[in-house]
Amino acid sequence: MTLTRRQFIKTGMGSVAIGLVMPKLLLGGTRGGASGASGAGRKILVIVQLAGGNDGLNTVIPYTDPNYYQLRPNLGFPQAELVDANGQSTIITNQLGLHPSLSEIKSLYDQKKVAVVLGVGYQNPNLSHFLSEDIWETADPTGNSGEGWLGKYADIALAGATGLPAASVGGLLPKAMFSPNVVIPSIVDFGSYNFLTDPDHGDDSQDQLNTFLMNGGRNLTPGSLLQQVNQIGLNAVNNALLVQSSVAQYSSTITYPDDNPLAQAFLMLAQLLTTINELSVVYVSMGSFDHHSDEIDHNGNNPVRSTGQHATLLGWFSQAINLFLQDLGQHGLNNTLIMTWSEFGRRVQENTSFGTDHGTASPQFIIGNQVQGGTVYGTQPDLSNLDQYGNVQMTVDFRSIYSTILQKWLDVDSTEVLGTDNFTRDLGFLG
Amino acid sequence: MPTFEYDDAAHLLRRMGFGGSPKQITALQAMGLSGAVDHLLNFQKVDNSALNSLLDASFNFSHPYKFNDFNIDEVKRWWFTRMIHTARPFEEKMTLFWHSHFATADSKVDNPIFMYLQNQTLRNLAVGRFDDLLLAVAQDPAMLVWLDGVTNVAGDPNENFAREMQELFTMGIFDVISGQPNYTQDDVHQIARTFTGWGFYWPNYNKKPFDLVFAIDPNSHDTGPKTIYGVTANYEGQDVLQIVAARQATARFLVKKFFNYFVYPLDLATSQDQQTVDTYANIYLTSNHSISAVLEAIFTSDEFFSDRARFALVKNPVEYVVGSILLSGATHNPGTQVYVGDAAVVQSLCDLMGQELLNPPDVSGWPVGIGWINTASALNRYTYADYVASNRPQNTSDAGVFLPAKVLKAQTKTTAVDTVANFANLLGPLPLDSASQANLVAYLTTASDGSTVDFTKNNQTVDDKIRGLVHQIMCLAEYQLN
Repeated sequence: MTLTRRQFIKTGMGSVAIGLVMPKLLLGGTRGGASGASGAGRKILVIVQLAGGNDGLNTVIPYTDPNYYQLRPNLGFPQAELVDANGQSTIITNQLGLHPSLSEIKSLYDQKKVAVVLGVGYQNPNLSHFLSEDIWETADPTGNSGEGWLGKYADIALAGATGLPAASVGGLLPKAMFSPNVVIPSIVDFGSYNFLTDPDHGDDSQDQLNTFLMNGGRNLTPGSLLQQVNQIGLNAVNNALLVQSSVAQYSSTITYPDDNPLAQAFLMLAQLLTTINELSVVYVSMGSFDHHSDEIDHNGNNPVRSTGQHATLLGWFSQAINLFLQDLGQHGLNNTLIMTWSEFGRRVQENTSFGTDHGTASPQFIIGNQVQGGTVYGTQPDLSNLDQYGNVQMTVDFRSIYSTILQKWLDVDSTEVLGTDNFTRDLGFLG
Repeated sequence: MPTFEYDDAAHLLRRMGFGGSPKQITALQAMGLSGAVDHLLNFQKVDNSALNSLLDASFNFSHPYKFNDFNIDEVKRWWFTRMIHTARPFEEKMTLFWHSHFATADSKVDNPIFMYLQNQTLRNLAVGRFDDLLLAVAQDPAMLVWLDGVTNVAGDPNENFAREMQELFTMGIFDVISGQPNYTQDDVHQIARTFTGWGFYWPNYNKKPFDLVFAIDPNSHDTGPKTIYGVTANYEGQDVLQIVAARQATARFLVKKFFNYFVYPLDLATSQDQQTVDTYANIYLTSNHSISAVLEAIFTSDEFFSDRARFALVKNPVEYVVGSILLSGATHNPGTQVYVGDAAVVQSLCDLMGQELLNPPDVSGWPVGIGWINTASALNRYTYADYVASNRPQNTSDAGVFLPAKVLKAQTKTTAVDTVANFANLLGPLPLDSASQANLVAYLTTASDGSTVDFTKNNQTVDDKIRGLVHQIMCLAEYQLN
């Protein structure tokens, strides 16, 4: 997928996003020598944001709960419909089944590579997309913090690292990766993550780049503002050239379908991860889960649950995750942990537009070879005990997922990132 | 200072505005220093009807409930259009300053009407009495939502506004010079009580959606005595804001922010800079807290025109985006809706550079100085520079930024050396060192096969190398500074 520059500029308004965590130091000429950065010890964390508020109740479906069907006469999936396109059941427990579009996820669940964490949210839920996102991204229940939880982790663990220890792809840098000390660039697409020059005079491009590098290489007064700005600018372009030359080395037998935008974003992640050895934290955001209307298809007033916007998005998600894990596996990158998050789930009761309004807690997926999967963690919220707005009550603090990953995967003290508030520090999905 | 030179006028216009054309700089220089500062600072006298006509033709805010006509991206487009086309640059520059000072984000406010109204408040009161600005901002819906005024009730005071008002909007936790604490946690709590019950309502949303009225709900307002800064009385919120606005700590804090934003970063460990702060803080205190009196003194001062001040600041992304249009002579067509054509280019690239207007990262506002430049934002600056330099006009009705060939040709000289010098002058004027001059001359005289060729002024050179030269200059470290 090659975006034109013009498309890139328009993409700035938001949509799919992938981000890179880069240290503030200049990337050295030699990479891949960092300890633990390559080979068997290398651990990768992939954050997948389901932006807009994913309908958790139609992702992990409580097919034995009469309240679910009572509040969702059109949207509720009957048990008989929990079957994927290949005719395989998507039921995972005696109470829960996956959305039928999550075919590959179900298969990974059966291989014990997927854990489902139920009822994930925070106290005093706010139904604003933005504030709720801020709370999740900063791990600050007030939403007032300016630093992201991954940014804090980067400050602790990656500030002195060389190379490219982390990344985000697609749009603006997610707040989760805001860090005062580690620069984490966001790569919209590889076509634009470059020193761009006049598209009408491609033959002048090398001369433009050479001139920039000559100016960047000037001897300026050490420590002066001018010299600092000059050095950072030179680093920026050198970083971009490095990413360009690295991802050009990528080759794979996996085909990521063009008509699956999330798969295309995961292709970018695979290109980065398989060619940049020290890259360990990556982020991708998938939008459009805000299904106030037409979450499912319908013929007039008759619901068609197996297709529609939500089914399409979950299908993309499921397919992309599976291809990505296969691709990384073929490149020997078997220590990869994927976590999903969404700022909130949706209202239990469907609305009159075949959609759902903003809700609260929702289930999340933890995926990877090292996950103690094939089981659910936490407690399914009680649909007979909703809050005053008709939303479920959270059962798992979202920070419990973060702290489990921080402690068991990233090997840092979770209190350094998340403070000392009282919540479960280890949910057990990493053993 | 002895004489007011062209470079001085350009320095003044870059700091009090976003830069301008040689013609504008020459006109400013002709006014003399005091005349130029008066012209920029007392902007109410300057006719702005051309901007107003453009705004009328490019926006329809009459029905804010029509999403395509009015949303947060439309408000951003409106503000960028103002900044690019205004005849009163300092009005917009100060609005930008106060937006970062009273940093309020739509991410939480979640209402473009409130954000738009706050922007108007900041603009209308930008250079008046600080007391009036502080009170108006405190009573605007945006701030009442942003810092939880609407949930601040008697018996359960929310301290968010009371704290940030003191810490970020007026005094700072510690005195700028003495380092002594300006207030205690008890003061925060007691002051929060004075703001209980503050809120707003729409008398007639359907007919007058922009008319919101501030009101204090008597049922949630705490009328009891409060002890603030050691004195007990039946204080109201308005009283507290007046008291705070009159404190020396506030005068010092504001002067520090003005200097760091408009002059040079202060080093408050030095007695020289401490004296500088108090010199202008005293003007604030003896002028009935007049913002314009302080700024007039600052912009006519020796400090402002000292060598220390020249190119001592880093352009923020808005300055970079708007200034690049004004300096290069590019045209800007705001379009009629933000999602149509390239109308969003300016604001979306500014977002990518790290300054998303109406959405500062938190209540402390945006960074100043080197914090603006990192390996991610720098690349986005160069992309924007390339966009401005290489975007050729197609259709005059197209929205976006365009750099016409005739503008470039008029600035192109007959030799490479003179052409580099002229564009460095146009895009600053920038003081280039001999190395960068030589690199740029070499660029102009290098063919695509790498061979050295003579520089010839013609349409082909303008379309190829002159656009490239503009891009190169906008990528220079010198150009990132202000």
